[in-house]
Amino acid sequence: MKKYLCLGCGFSYDEARGLPEHGIAPGTRWANIPEDWVCPDCGTPKSGFEMVEIPYYAEARPA
Amino acid sequence: MSVRFILRAGERGYSYLPAVGLNASYVAGHPDGVITRHSSFNFHEYQSGIPGLGVMKVFGDETFTPNGTGYNMHPHHNFIIMAFVASGALTHINTIGKIDELKANDYYVFSAGSGGKHSELNIGEEELQVIYVWVLPGQLLAPPSYRRSRFDPKAGANRITCLVGDEPGALPIGQTFKVSRLLSDGGRRHVYRPAKANGFYAFVLEGDPHAARQHCAGRRGHGRDRGPH
Repeated sequence: MKKYLCLGCGFSYDEARGLPEHGIAPGTRWANIPEDWVCPDCGTPKSGFEMVEIPYYAEARPA
Repeated sequence: MSVRFILRAGERGYSYLPAVGLNASYVAGHPDGVITRHSSFNFHEYQSGIPGLGVMKVFGDETFTPNGTGYNMHPHHNFIIMAFVASGALTHINTIGKIDELKANDYYVFSAGSGGKHSELNIGEEELQVIYVWVLPGQLLAPPSYRRSRFDPKAGANRITCLVGDEPGALPIGQTFKVSRLLSDGGRRHVYRPAKANGFYAFVLEGDPHAARQHCAGRRGHGRDRGPH
């Protein structure tokens, strides 16, 4: 399970959490999201996403 | 790998964003209102220059026509967005609850974090010139924040002043990234030494200096990218 940030508007996707409010079940791999899916924030289609992996705020804080 | 490059004024990405047509919902303003954007760096479909430098993904030199031109309220997550006003007045409105006006030498750092919207407007009667820089955050979904500061042209004359980054007097962003500014009377030599592991990008706003032994006239950039990213 990975966490991604899109360089378009900064929208993030966590495979473990999915996006249930946008119809994507928890555990859905980014690769398995339909090609016609668009960013809920900026409307960019999936093909236009530029994903980079990045940790969450809480996880990156020093112990 | 180290890549050196010079971006001349006309070689940067160029966007012409009128307040009518396809951009009507995104760009505010009367029908003659227009934003022009010269991008040293930009991303995906907006990309026509170099695709970012380290954690900096956007460097846009933008001009807004007066009397209401700007970006309507739109959302972001995560990105740290900075604006440095060169001339005119920028009205910034965000969903953290801040309504701000920034004039020449003022700048802000808006960290969208877990989610924030903002609008950028020129409601004045003069043209607005502003440089926007977008930086990747170190962490996703941090609390959104907004801070502003000012470059003091008297105190900052003839010295390299850190505006953003981990230095006294600068706005911290929790990222290995700095923005510094030099306002020089000329005839002087100024030395900037980036950390060995880091690249740099020098942008000449005005004047005709020799940057890093490379001749760089106004609105050109000179950089070194210490990839991979």
